[in-house]
Amino acid sequence: MKLPLKSYDTNQQLFFAYHYMHDWWNPWNVKWFTGFSQTTYPPLPQQWTALLGHIFGLQYAYMLVQFVAILLLAVGMYRFAAIWVNERAASFASLAVVLLGSESFLIYNAGQLATTWEAALYILALPYLYEWLRYGGFRPFIKALVLFAAASAAHDVIIIFGTAFFTFPLIALAIMERDKGEETTTGAAVIGRAVAMAIAAAVAIGLVLLPYWIDLFRYPVSQTPIPHASRANYLLTPFWGTNYFLIPWGALMLALPFIVWRGAHVRRLIPLLLGFWACFLVGLGGTTPVALWLLHRAFYVLTFERVAYWAELLSLPILGLLCSELVTRFRMKAVVPLVVLGAITCGLPIAWSNYQPTNSINLDVRPVAEWLNRGGHDNYRYFTLGFGNNISRLSVETRANTVDGEWYSDRRLPELMKFGGGSLDNSKYFGPGGLGALQAILRHANRYGLKWIFVHDPWYDPLLHFAGWRQVDQLEYGAIQVWSKEAVPPAHPMVFGVKPPPWQCIMWGIVPIGSSILAFLLWFIPDKRRQFLTEEDDSDATDETYMHERLAS
Amino acid sequence: MRGALLAIFIGVATIGLVAIGTIWPIPSAIYFAGSGNGSVLRSPTTPEIAIQDLGIRIRLHQMPAAYSSLANKAEFTQSEFDQDVTGFYRSLRTQATLETVDSQPLHQSADQAEMRVQFHWSTILGPYEDTREIQVVRNGDRWQVDWPLVKRPSVPAQVIPVNYLRWDVIYSGSTDEWGSQNVAGPNVRIVDMRPVNRAEGVYVLGELLDDDVVPAWVDVRATLIGKDGKILGSEDSFDMISHRLLPKQVTPFRIHFPNVDLSQVGSIRMQPESILISTSADPVIEILNEKYNALPIASLTGQLSDQSGRVVNFAHVLTTFYDSNGNVIWVSGRYIGRALPPQTPVNFTVSVPEDLARKVSSERTIVAAYSPRGDAL
Repeated sequence: MKLPLKSYDTNQQLFFAYHYMHDWWNPWNVKWFTGFSQTTYPPLPQQWTALLGHIFGLQYAYMLVQFVAILLLAVGMYRFAAIWVNERAASFASLAVVLLGSESFLIYNAGQLATTWEAALYILALPYLYEWLRYGGFRPFIKALVLFAAASAAHDVIIIFGTAFFTFPLIALAIMERDKGEETTTGAAVIGRAVAMAIAAAVAIGLVLLPYWIDLFRYPVSQTPIPHASRANYLLTPFWGTNYFLIPWGALMLALPFIVWRGAHVRRLIPLLLGFWACFLVGLGGTTPVALWLLHRAFYVLTFERVAYWAELLSLPILGLLCSELVTRFRMKAVVPLVVLGAITCGLPIAWSNYQPTNSINLDVRPVAEWLNRGGHDNYRYFTLGFGNNISRLSVETRANTVDGEWYSDRRLPELMKFGGGSLDNSKYFGPGGLGALQAILRHANRYGLKWIFVHDPWYDPLLHFAGWRQVDQLEYGAIQVWSKEAVPPAHPMVFGVKPPPWQCIMWGIVPIGSSILAFLLWFIPDKRRQFLTEEDDSDATDETYMHERLAS
Repeated sequence: MRGALLAIFIGVATIGLVAIGTIWPIPSAIYFAGSGNGSVLRSPTTPEIAIQDLGIRIRLHQMPAAYSSLANKAEFTQSEFDQDVTGFYRSLRTQATLETVDSQPLHQSADQAEMRVQFHWSTILGPYEDTREIQVVRNGDRWQVDWPLVKRPSVPAQVIPVNYLRWDVIYSGSTDEWGSQNVAGPNVRIVDMRPVNRAEGVYVLGELLDDDVVPAWVDVRATLIGKDGKILGSEDSFDMISHRLLPKQVTPFRIHFPNVDLSQVGSIRMQPESILISTSADPVIEILNEKYNALPIASLTGQLSDQSGRVVNFAHVLTTFYDSNGNVIWVSGRYIGRALPPQTPVNFTVSVPEDLARKVSSERTIVAAYSPRGDAL
């Protein structure tokens, strides 16, 4: 049940939620990087975790919030798939999304709560967008708008980089079928509505995340890019190919030929197929040059496991069609293998995260926190080496502040921005960049009041020794060494960057979560019952003539 | 029909794009595939490519594949090859990652080439270079590296008498705050100090003496004060000092202030720091055959010999260079890539800036060492 808590980013999400739990109205968090603003990370899932944490405790709140994301995604996928395929196939797509390898990978391996929430709310918005494009009307417009805004409050990546893959196929479909169905429209009207929605969504998203955009505008991404293995060529580096392709795709790979074949043969599925294909190519990271061609410098900022996730989401309506046809034709002979393949696809990333733990180290950080919290040790700053993703957990447990952290977008310490390493804790994995940052911060220990280093990896010992640090204590029966430097003055408050002013703090505490509450309230208002066309209405479709009337809601 | 064409187009285009991305990989793909020089999948049709491919395999820690690619692999085992590449004992080398490989042909015939190969390693203590002259031989249409294996040094069995001094410190109790002691630190004294202006900024050079009868853990902090009284910067000696000082021992120090010009500096405030430590006088590392070479490349060469019975895993050579008046004109340091086995000389080279080469009249070298507890021969 608690498996997602072992994933890579979970502790970071909990760290952010912990801060909201204790200081909802002040996103300035002094525990990392001498201070950073949490307005640099869309807050929705962490804020929900914080709110529910008061009732269930932080860890169970996290599990609950993650669970809600999965449920929302299943509902959203049903409605999204129903735009393209019949109701039965949409049901299979909805079921498949729960077993999706990428979804499982993001939850159990990467711990990207924000990405799964963002995708769920975004997918929920798409049927309303389509309804708006086809028929206009205030109700679908406002529902799509508020859901897009709430999705951006969860994360901004799909809004910035994924919108083209999801919305262009819908626009193309609306134009293709402008004169079919219960109400007709014109191509110009569809484009006009799309532009209107784009403008309204830009304003709404701009408003919901205004402190975020202000910070991004003030400090555009200027750090030396941090290497990420999802940008590797998966053939030249089979390990990363396994990690970022074979594991997340699982048995869905077997369906790829069908998805392409059926998508190409059914006219109204072609936009979806092309959106899927483009997303698939970009999601291959550095395996093809497509992502670099399209994204330029953004290629070195984005990580591609989430793009692969979007590609899988886009493939699901056609996969649902395959499942539906197989079950219709072969009954239990199809059901059993499909269930087995689904279970394997869902289970592979969980097994993989145990077989190849990313940065997850089983370490009890409470003795370290207790050590820091006693005897005035928390008058100084500290950092860890070899703790993996436990540094966020340690930050939750201790009052002391660190110069390190796991959220790289808002670290303003020059030593950390210059070299292109990840966190100091795992600097050895980032080659000269990571080690350069580590050496630079050690050189300026006095400046930051940095007196303690907790070492769980003796690999770093030579540097600490020759740089003038001494081992002064050990914890956990010697598994953790405490190193110290003499004559370091106590830490004093330091502000790199700009603290958000009070109006931004208040806005950050109200608007993002308010957008999600508004979205849920509007979402529960019943929709007008409409009949969309399906792939079976397409004149170029297969010979099968059974027709399912289905509703958008 | 149109649908089939579209499906085939998508399939073919995908395969084509994957092929392009694999044959001509983008920089991030090259990075993760282990090549620093821009190409990954090649047949070793030239000596340079054979060297580069070997470098990629070593960088990716694919040691069985690297060993298999050698022309003379029958002459030694893979284990011997691994140890030659990564070191026999824990050392900088065992913790290093090969970044790039540069090769220069010295002689080449149709079937054989002699190359000077420079391996650029990144280590936790900074970049490290290792140069070897390597034969590459032609085998059919492929070139293969003839690896010049350096065998593990063998030391005859012997007893090393241990008679070094040792100092222990008893702390007053667990109420002590770590890092502060309720006893005065050992007396240490700066015996020489000189600022030097160079293109990279200002360097403060000098020597520090432990003037006490107990050992000390030392550091030196310098603060540059501008002519207007404002502080220009404050830095410490970091790793350009031997932090562990025995009684009456002297260490050089060098403190770097980047982006500062000496003309801006009005005064310098020096703060030597010391704290009492438990330590012993071992390991004793003798410096043999020390020789200063002014030309063609200014450097100090010599050998380190570990006189104790235990391996010294990490060693840092620190040399003070003096002019004819006995003034410190430069302090240089060099980490030794390999561990120092007992009684086995290991070469070292310390470089000197070219513009100071002719001013050097004498030099003094000390060695700072670190061996993790429990590491033994």
